[in-house]
Amino acid sequence: MTLAETQALFHEVITSAEPVAAERIDACFAGTPDLPAVERVAIYADMYSWRLVEALRETFPNLVRFLGDETFAALAGDYLRRHPSEHHDVGQVGRHLAAFLREFPDPERPDLADLAELEWARQAVFFATPAEPVGSAALAGLDAEAISRTGLVLSPALQVLVLAHATTPLWRRLEDGDSPDPPSPDPGPVAVWRSGFDVFHAALPHDEAAALSATRSGDSLATICAAFADREDPAHAAHAALSSWFDEGWIVSVGPAPPVSSSDREC
Amino acid sequence: MTSPRLDLGHGIGLRTTHFARFMAEPPPVDWIEAVTENFMAPGGRPISVLEKVRAEVPVVLHGVSLAIGSVDPIPGRYLAELARVVERVEPALVSDHLCWGTHRGQYLHDLLPLPYTEESLAHVTSRVQQVQERLGRQLLLENPSTYVSFKDSTMTEWEFLAELTRRSGCGILLDVNNVYISAHNFGFGALEYLRGIPVDRVGYFHLAGHSDKGKYLLDSHDHAVPAGVWDLYREALRRFGRVPSLVEWDDVIPPLAEVVAESRRASEIEAEELGSSGRRLAS
Repeated sequence: MTLAETQALFHEVITSAEPVAAERIDACFAGTPDLPAVERVAIYADMYSWRLVEALRETFPNLVRFLGDETFAALAGDYLRRHPSEHHDVGQVGRHLAAFLREFPDPERPDLADLAELEWARQAVFFATPAEPVGSAALAGLDAEAISRTGLVLSPALQVLVLAHATTPLWRRLEDGDSPDPPSPDPGPVAVWRSGFDVFHAALPHDEAAALSATRSGDSLATICAAFADREDPAHAAHAALSSWFDEGWIVSVGPAPPVSSSDREC
Repeated sequence: MTSPRLDLGHGIGLRTTHFARFMAEPPPVDWIEAVTENFMAPGGRPISVLEKVRAEVPVVLHGVSLAIGSVDPIPGRYLAELARVVERVEPALVSDHLCWGTHRGQYLHDLLPLPYTEESLAHVTSRVQQVQERLGRQLLLENPSTYVSFKDSTMTEWEFLAELTRRSGCGILLDVNNVYISAHNFGFGALEYLRGIPVDRVGYFHLAGHSDKGKYLLDSHDHAVPAGVWDLYREALRRFGRVPSLVEWDDVIPPLAEVVAESRRASEIEAEELGSSGRRLAS
């Protein structure tokens, strides 16, 4: 056999859901009377499954708590057959799990996809590129003209998710070892971020999420603040939100924004 | 692309369990080995710990995903990230494994054995040269622990490694535990293996524990170094002279002091076998 043929067979033996015929294994691999080739290659097949399921367990600890070890292992097996690892970092193998759970939802727990998305985001921000936050003093002295020309740069270690269920309470109950409540449809944004080496998440008002989206798009402070237009006191709401962004370390730079349209409003 | 053997002393692996200790005080060993892929992410705690440690003791980067023997092309993304982390960390040595582990873009995350044939030798030689040219430095390859062999093999693992180093200029990370395991699992002589490895190509040793699964030994890295591996380490010292050692402990990891004690044991055995000054190279 060529090297390519050998590796293709070995790959099939390790990853196939169905056992490979013993004759094919014996034609390629060498065994001994006490440990035949079929048993020897099975050592690798077992380790392949174990290693990837362990990686998924590390990334999704609360999904494991919810489902239990056995059910999670079965889910992981189904998932890995659909989404084998495509990255040299085994920790990346769970990148499609939330989408997989949306494609094949548990009818009784449709919120598990959201839980997986939240846990994945927590890992992603932990390893995100570091960037030094700036303080709110960076905005000091900006007049109305400057506000229309100034934008903010968000930390790479901040993500805003839009989840369909009340996921942060579910995550908290699982984290605390409590039994989960029934799924609760509650569409809304959730911020996930890293501060130092700690990861946090919190539900966000819809308008604040829109303001963050505008920030990520490179819009000016004027446009960002316009996201709070429906509040009773828009200027106060915008000021409170932006202050908290600086306090949490979400802003890493203040600088020029692209030209704004005449519809932009001031803070 | 050969390099003289470095006199690093005796080290241990950098593991998450011990991060707090490494951040609080300098490593209590001569050098540290870090699993390359764990430090490729641009941020997070691991790279911060490694940045601190590398300022205090020499660091060796040890990869698990290069898949030097895979038929797949080496992914450009992986090589670029490897080059970036090597440039950032400036390790004393860069190592990976003599194995394959990818298939049509899929990572199997295992160190799978190769058939030891002329085709494999030419293939691996070419890829080692590709990596060494990309990094601008020597690559060391570790002998894997293996559980199956191939009917097509025409040479032993040690013959393959010896010829690979001659053709490509790569170094050898000789895992003493893996020699012990593979010798047990296939019934060859561990000393014959050591005698087949060129003395001047061994850059450092790995030492670790394994599990007895009844019909075979498993490279589990979840125990202290067993007596049989220490004995083989003594034999390796007699053949190769003073060689840096690295104790691996990757599962059921004990407190740092226990891992450090294993590394000190390696140092004591080296002194017993070679004298306190040791020999850089055996004659």
